[in-house]
Amino acid sequence: MSPDPLVKPDLLQGTLDMLVLRTVADEALHGYAIAQRIRLVSGDRLAIPQGSLYPSLRRLENQALIKGEWGTAPSGREARVYHLTAKGRRRLDAELRDWHELTTAIGLVLGDA
Amino acid sequence: MSWLSRLLRGRTLDRELDRELRAHLALMTDDLIRSGIPPEEARRQAAIALGGVEQVKEASRDARGTRIVEDWWQDTQYAVRSLRRAPGFSLAAILTLALGIGANTAVWSVMDAVMFRSLPVERSEELYALRQRAPSSDDPSYLFSYPGMGRFRGVLPDSGPIAGMGSIVRMYVAAAGQAEPMEAQLVSGNWFQMLGVGAARGRLLNPGDDDAGSPPVAVLSHAYWDRQFGRDAAIVGSVIRLNGFPLAVAGVAEPGFDGLTVGQQVDLWIPLRLQHEVRYSGGAWSRDANTDEPWLPQDGIAWLTLVTRTPAESFQRTETRLAAQYRAELLERNSDTSDAAGRARRLRAQLVLEPLAKGFSPLRQAFADPLQALMAGVGLVLLIACANLAGLLIARGAARSQEASVRAALGARAGRLFRQSLTESLTLALIGGVASLLVAWWGGHALVRAASAGPRPIPLALALDARVLGFAALLSVVTGLLLGLAPAWRAARAVPFGSFQAGGRIAARSLHRLPLGRVLVVSQIALSLVLLAAAGLFVRTLRNFLAVDTGYAAEQVLEARIDARGAGYAMEALPGLYQRLLDAVGAVPGVSSVSLSMHGLGVGAQRISEFTVPGVDRPPDFKRQGQENFITPGYFATVGMVLLRGREFTATDRLGGPKVTVVSEAFAKHFFGTLDVIGKRFGYDQPQFEIVGVVRDVRVNAIKQTPPRMLFRPLSQEPSEYVQSVEARVDGPVEDVTRMIRFAIASVDPNLPVREVVPVAELLGRGLSRERLLARLAGVFGVMALLLAAIGLYGVVAYSVTQRTNELGIRLALGARPRAVWLMVLRDSLAMVLAGLALGILLWLPLQGLVRSMVFGLSTRDPLTLAAAALVLGLVGAAAASFPARRAARVDPAQALRAQ
Repeated sequence: MSPDPLVKPDLLQGTLDMLVLRTVADEALHGYAIAQRIRLVSGDRLAIPQGSLYPSLRRLENQALIKGEWGTAPSGREARVYHLTAKGRRRLDAELRDWHELTTAIGLVLGDA
Repeated sequence: MSWLSRLLRGRTLDRELDRELRAHLALMTDDLIRSGIPPEEARRQAAIALGGVEQVKEASRDARGTRIVEDWWQDTQYAVRSLRRAPGFSLAAILTLALGIGANTAVWSVMDAVMFRSLPVERSEELYALRQRAPSSDDPSYLFSYPGMGRFRGVLPDSGPIAGMGSIVRMYVAAAGQAEPMEAQLVSGNWFQMLGVGAARGRLLNPGDDDAGSPPVAVLSHAYWDRQFGRDAAIVGSVIRLNGFPLAVAGVAEPGFDGLTVGQQVDLWIPLRLQHEVRYSGGAWSRDANTDEPWLPQDGIAWLTLVTRTPAESFQRTETRLAAQYRAELLERNSDTSDAAGRARRLRAQLVLEPLAKGFSPLRQAFADPLQALMAGVGLVLLIACANLAGLLIARGAARSQEASVRAALGARAGRLFRQSLTESLTLALIGGVASLLVAWWGGHALVRAASAGPRPIPLALALDARVLGFAALLSVVTGLLLGLAPAWRAARAVPFGSFQAGGRIAARSLHRLPLGRVLVVSQIALSLVLLAAAGLFVRTLRNFLAVDTGYAAEQVLEARIDARGAGYAMEALPGLYQRLLDAVGAVPGVSSVSLSMHGLGVGAQRISEFTVPGVDRPPDFKRQGQENFITPGYFATVGMVLLRGREFTATDRLGGPKVTVVSEAFAKHFFGTLDVIGKRFGYDQPQFEIVGVVRDVRVNAIKQTPPRMLFRPLSQEPSEYVQSVEARVDGPVEDVTRMIRFAIASVDPNLPVREVVPVAELLGRGLSRERLLARLAGVFGVMALLLAAIGLYGVVAYSVTQRTNELGIRLALGARPRAVWLMVLRDSLAMVLAGLALGILLWLPLQGLVRSMVFGLSTRDPLTLAAAALVLGLVGAAAASFPARRAARVDPAQALRAQ
């Protein structure tokens, strides 16, 4: 049995957006695949509540950070596939930098050596 | 994708999302089947993992950020549906709002046109009028001489942009053998250029038209060109005769421009230098001058209003230079130091530049206060209507509380319920607002017509333009909020399931006294009292004015207003004309006596001169002015003035004989301190005149004006004066004689312009147009307020009786007498009325200042008027409440209890 997912439905919006951005950064993925990928990469620790995934995709698309296009999944089914835009790439870099600084700072304060 | 396109493509986006979610489910189901789960179970698990498709869609729609608008649209559709379900209520509400908002917009459109709108000229904020501030009693405030205009131009660089203009006067254009009256204005050649007004046809005046040798020309206003010549382009270059003098039409001014005076339309402009040729004799002030000679070269005749244009940065310099020039001339004119006090007083005058962006406006002065009072009045009516409709909406909301509870139970948030209820009120108000434009359009023109004295309405450009439409829109929104907030607040407090319990009675019972509704009724009554009190004051003001003793008996007197100067009569021909007029009009059947006078009664035309009494020392601020009129023998008897001392003029008072005069009481008392003045002498500078009679004080100019210090002189001793009025005393009905008098004058000379033949009483009545307007409109507003308040009270009481049917039934069953129940309900209603009246009096105290300047002959706190207003409201209130009270007393206990 996999460990209990850490992420609850009230996962911070900003954090979810960042995870989605990071996930589609390497290759274009459809919604279901994004959720699967996050789950897999996090070793089953992060389960995206799927009800939050699509609103997050809409938000990111409205800000032109990602772009969705209809295509076919490997299984042959049609699916809307998202890829990162140039603007999304810049945003992701900035977010990651901030994230690392923040976690480093928090780590220092908590003294987890 | 932009916000707007997301909003417009909402449906497409919804479909896309649906498709995407279905794809998601399919992919997940595939995965699960691959891991060995049976297809049926796989689909189930996939659906559970995704969560409710509808919830996901909702959340995604939220993410679109267009939620507010979509909700609003949904609410609006819902509001329209629910308004259509109650068409009677909706129609009544929309009509009420259309009337209320429309009346406000109408008053606003007139107020805007009269008080706020800028002149339709280039950069109107740079225009200024030259004005003499704090002038001593014998100086005019706006008038300057023609040579004076030249000297002012001299002190400004490049001979300065100073333009001059005369007053707007009636002149006559000969067309097809008939003299057509029109309004003409004399202006300097640079006037149009300085204003930046363009030509629609031909050319406008230019500085070259001021040169003595240039051909005489005229410029038509676009409105006049349209009205009189049907926009005939061939009129440019043709010759017209103005007061008998031929002029070539040079061009037509651009549409929309009718001069610098708001509410006075100029039809035609001509160069100043034609003053003598067209016999112009408009507003002027003269000293050591001969007004029968051309005015242009005479420095002693001040007749021009001067206008300049200066941008903000050079304003200071321009004003300083003009003021210095004015000061220099003032010192020079008052070099005589013998009368030190008088000289010091006259030297206090100074020249200032007065902003002219909004134009000159006698209307603004006369109607600023009444318009503000009217605005406040219609505002109050609208407030009452709002309170009234809010009460109805609350009652309706209470009746629909079950529906609100269902919605709350299904998850509608309080905010959403609030918004939805408010949307309903806003929708009502906006529909009312659109309908109100009709009311505003009609009402604005009706208001102008009602405010106009005389046969022609005041030419005011009322437009449904952006300013007026904006006002209506803003007012609609504010109205919607005002009338919707209270009901919305109620709706938002709907309790889920609350209404289901006890068959919906719990919610209803908690509302049965409708405290909010009662507050609204009390405020309606208070506001109605304010309006009724104002109406009472205005009606009594009008009556007080009509009861004023004018000093003459005008009921049976007709006045024919003629213009011999405009007809081109030479002075030598005047005595003959006068005799023929007296003979012809005197011969009309029904005319018992006839007379002529230079200035007629009630038209406001007057000649003011200064008089001295020999051998009497006066304090420096003694007012030496008196008003002069020239009359024929029989005048006093014809118009019904009462001779107190001495005699009236007779045929023996001839040219060359001793100069005689009859003075009024006010004149005698002011100059002599007594009425026993027969035989005393006085004059302009030497004692030319001997007093032969004294008449009672007469309000010759207007009812509202205190009786002037009058002196009458025989026309026979000043035969070159142009008479403007023929008075005829008539036996029997005046209407028949009016036409006959016109014919009689036409038989003397068909080309003699007759402006009108009217009863003097009507002329005097025109001077009260403002009072009449106020009394009439305040009366209408008062009645509207009264009706609305009565309906509001009725509604609330009737509602509470319905809600209390049970309780009343129990009371009656337990032995309460119907009369006691009736009294109980009535007492309850009267408590509201009394509270409203008390609040109304409190409101009146600060508001009375608004009408103080328009009330005559009584105090704004006149107890009788206030008491009457309160009594009317109380009676109407009691009547409105008595219907539901009677129904309460007739409740059948058995039925009420069975309905439980």
